[in-house]
Amino acid sequence: MIVCFVEDDELSAQAVGFARTLGEVRAVTFAGAYQPAAWAKALAAQEAEAIVAAGSDRGNELLAHVGALLDQPFAANVTAIDGDVVTRVRWGGSLVEEARLHGAPKLLTVAPHVHAPAEFDPEVLEAVDDGSPKVLERVEESSGGVSLRDAKVVVSGGRGVGSSEGFAIIEELAGLLGGAVGCSRVVTSAGWRPHADQVGQTGTKISADLYIACGISGATQHIAGAKGAKKILAINTDPEAPIFASADYAVIGDLHEVVPAISAELRRVRG
Amino acid sequence: MLVLVCGGIFARRAWFLTGLVRKARPSDRPGTEAERAVAEAEIVLGQRKLLQRLVPGLMHAFIFWGFLVLFPTIVLAAIDVAGGGDHTPVWYRDLADAFAVLVLVGVATAVVIRKIVRPERFRGSHLGEADFILAMIAAVVVTLLLWHHVGGTALAWAHLIVIGAFLAYLPYSKHLHIATAALNVWMARTRKRGRLEPLRFDVPDDELRFGVATIADLTRKEVVDAFSCTECGRCQDACPAYATGKILSPKLVIMGVRDQLFAQSAEPIVGAGVPEEMIWDCVTCGACVEACPVSIEHVDHIVDLRRSRLMVDASFPAEAEPMLRDVERASNPWGKPQTERAAWAAELGVRVLEPGDPAPEYLYWVGCAASFDERAKKSAESTAKLLQAAGVDFAILGPREGCTGDPARRMGNEYVFQAQAEQNVATLNGQGVTKIVASCPHCFNTLANEYGDFGGSYEVLHHTELLAQLVDEGRLAPVAGAGSVTYHDSCYLARHNDVRVQPRKLLNVIGQPVEMERSGKKTFCCGAGGAHMWMEERGTQINVERAKEAAATGAETLAVACPFCTVMLDDGVREVGAELRVADVATLLAESLG
Repeated sequence: MIVCFVEDDELSAQAVGFARTLGEVRAVTFAGAYQPAAWAKALAAQEAEAIVAAGSDRGNELLAHVGALLDQPFAANVTAIDGDVVTRVRWGGSLVEEARLHGAPKLLTVAPHVHAPAEFDPEVLEAVDDGSPKVLERVEESSGGVSLRDAKVVVSGGRGVGSSEGFAIIEELAGLLGGAVGCSRVVTSAGWRPHADQVGQTGTKISADLYIACGISGATQHIAGAKGAKKILAINTDPEAPIFASADYAVIGDLHEVVPAISAELRRVRG
Repeated sequence: MLVLVCGGIFARRAWFLTGLVRKARPSDRPGTEAERAVAEAEIVLGQRKLLQRLVPGLMHAFIFWGFLVLFPTIVLAAIDVAGGGDHTPVWYRDLADAFAVLVLVGVATAVVIRKIVRPERFRGSHLGEADFILAMIAAVVVTLLLWHHVGGTALAWAHLIVIGAFLAYLPYSKHLHIATAALNVWMARTRKRGRLEPLRFDVPDDELRFGVATIADLTRKEVVDAFSCTECGRCQDACPAYATGKILSPKLVIMGVRDQLFAQSAEPIVGAGVPEEMIWDCVTCGACVEACPVSIEHVDHIVDLRRSRLMVDASFPAEAEPMLRDVERASNPWGKPQTERAAWAAELGVRVLEPGDPAPEYLYWVGCAASFDERAKKSAESTAKLLQAAGVDFAILGPREGCTGDPARRMGNEYVFQAQAEQNVATLNGQGVTKIVASCPHCFNTLANEYGDFGGSYEVLHHTELLAQLVDEGRLAPVAGAGSVTYHDSCYLARHNDVRVQPRKLLNVIGQPVEMERSGKKTFCCGAGGAHMWMEERGTQINVERAKEAAATGAETLAVACPFCTVMLDDGVREVGAELRVADVATLLAESLG
């Protein structure tokens, strides 16, 4: 029997699809608040040749707990299995590894988007609340206006903006576009904007349709936070600025002239 | 009676202290006996590290050398009090007197330093204790001089009583270093200075150790480190984090560990003895280790404390989490697609090694920064062009090169580091690589000093070393023209790996070098080490501080040899608005070839 942990989503359907290739599948889920240690305890108690879940954050976390409880190895992001030999994806997809998975039951999660989904009708397992951490409520961070992470347009300022007052033109443009204001690390270090506005690897990762980077040189950390944007427009006086390597559109010029000009043009077009 | 009382008090404490060492876990600091003997001669007898600062160094050397010469006076005075009379030969009496005076000069200098100069490095040290110790030292030599020149058994008694009291007090005070410093120097690493001790995960559960949570987890070297600290504060003075207003003081870390040890505390050291913020402020630059006169290795303590916080408690600065995840999942700290790793090399026609290809003479290990960062890429491009111009047989691994794991390891995530190490060693060994040239000093350090623990032994050069060799051999013929250049030593080259001469050799040929005050082994970090490239910095920024120092030399160019230094100092220079171009030595060399 293969026990497959599922949730009501596409990745779980794919995990079930994969699990069916291994044998008869019992799809199981839990009711109530997510409580990884307690859920894992219930999963670990199931009679199974293998315990499978989707290679999602939750699936990986649960099976890591199960592995620790049973003292068995766990293989994440598996694409195929043949006897003991599992093939799994590592390094963000650039490395495919073949490894031997010893242990009973076999514990594995399934790499996303490799297997066709299958229908399932899960059985709800009981988990005993053992006082371990659980999700009580989800609170979205409110930034007053549009959240940086979900905004369709983000207008960001860097060192070139010059001061906290200098952000007025950035705010104006963001307002006209219905977007959010972001900034680079230099700006938060200088205290011109709060850390919540910082775009980058150590700040917020954005997923906008358009990212307008004004006076930002484009440190790799910054780009790491902006790479989710579909299009990047960079405005910078320095034609050598690294940001241009990642930009779809480039304006080599002073943001203090270019940004108000864009705002003015937007107003004109909109009448 | 005197021997029994003082000796008894001393022995009781010595038994307690040696017990702490015996209970500690074994440590593994590389070095040979011959090298350790040399270290003893230089650091202990020669007082080399103390003499890094002339006046306080001489002050200490006078007292130390004085006491070495004065040792026999204990026996001579004992003979006198036992009724045997004063048998001191005249020549020895004169010699002893001369050194006794030197000791007094030393004590007087110490008093001036402590009472009048009052350097910042003593902040947080026990000052009253130091005063008492100085008074005791003075009493030892004054009673000796009185016995020599006034004479009489009573004065011999006085001399012996003072020494006995000092002996009894010593192991309860920070003056304990006179018993442990030589041992600590012996135990310190004499090679592979940049190597951290690996954690073993393949051992029985009861031997498993995830860094240091409480004193029960300390290694022997860490225990003797704690015993040996005299609170002199030279580490604190050298620390870039302390210098820019962070709460970290390497001295207070060691004192915190020691306080926990002496209190036999079962509490976690972080929290009870060392504030949490301190351990995360560290850039692992090693300036403290370099400055310490008794060879305390502070970085090992800090990384061990981090390991436990990160791996056991999952508590660490949240902003570093994306980096750790990206190293683990994407094998580079920015989460860039590995397929783009060799993009910079495509136009240059650099050979990308495929599985099964014969090994080149040199494998060029590019590193993540020079592969993905726009500013740092220039260094990789220049290095590749230079190697091509010199006709060196080299190739890169391209998408099969993974992060060496250095930032994860220095952050305390030994799991992720070891996974990276095993994968990279498998790739390198599978390819039959024997010689590596690395651009990034952090990769260089890891490949040269740390991969040996995971089955990877290679001859590793930094690109400045190989380029200097090529210039020497006449395979590259650079010409002057770079103007005035100041060179910023990377900590992981200059301090952890002794690479200081070769980059300067190259700069001497192509420009007019101007040195910064803090250079060579005394270099000041750019602020990126110890995973700080991916962490937020509070208050004054280390890179800005360093950029100011570089700008003050008046040089036109700030030469660097590390991609992290490139990025950090380029940012710093922009921040201070200086007219200073930041460029890798390789880039400057490539330009000089025209």
